[in-house]
Amino acid sequence: MSQITNYNYEAFTPENYLPLMRFDESPSIGVPAPDFPLWRMEDQSQTHLSEYWSQYRYLVVEFGSFT
Amino acid sequence: MNAIAERFAEQGVGSIFLYTNEAHPGEHYPHHTSMAQKFRHAQALREVYNVTRPILVDALEGDCHIAYGSMPNMTWIFNQRGIPIYKSDWTDTYSVEQALRYFIEETPARRRAGARLAPFRVERLEYRQQDRAAFYRGLERNGPKAVKEFRAAMGE
Repeated sequence: MSQITNYNYEAFTPENYLPLMRFDESPSIGVPAPDFPLWRMEDQSQTHLSEYWSQYRYLVVEFGSFT
Repeated sequence: MNAIAERFAEQGVGSIFLYTNEAHPGEHYPHHTSMAQKFRHAQALREVYNVTRPILVDALEGDCHIAYGSMPNMTWIFNQRGIPIYKSDWTDTYSVEQALRYFIEETPARRRAGARLAPFRVERLEYRQQDRAAFYRGLERNGPKAVKEFRAAMGE
């Protein structure tokens, strides 16, 4: 589980969003990355990130939301 | 990003969109309180932004997103063994396309030409094109609260 308790914050304020911006602590290039369960939007079935990266020569993952 | 996905698909490149949290919650798309709501938002996002790539949804508490740095619009590229070979804290289509060309076209060509290559890591600052008007349209789509909070946070 994440150590961030306010991930789904209600308001865009610096005290809410700045603790989330931790790209410098993200996994390193060139070493195996952590795998996580994810859910397919279409049928809400569970999968894993590894299920996708293992299917392709390369996998491009864009993280995002409405804004 | 949809166009890049289509352009490189025949070269063994898969592309997904991973739906995370609402960075600018508003009246129309508020913060997530359930997975059911998160799935509804992801479905709406597909329709509004015409995302043609498979959309996957992260856990409600953002376990995957947080582990990868929890920036609002990152792009990562993995090889088949789950090793990140590219990561950017913001998505820029030019940068992603250049990276794919480097791995798919340029590096194999150097090997075919006889170069003996060893991996190394590099960091550099890149520049993305900003579309302020489109960003504000996105905030407005989320609702007046999203616009107001962004302006307040930026001191506007």
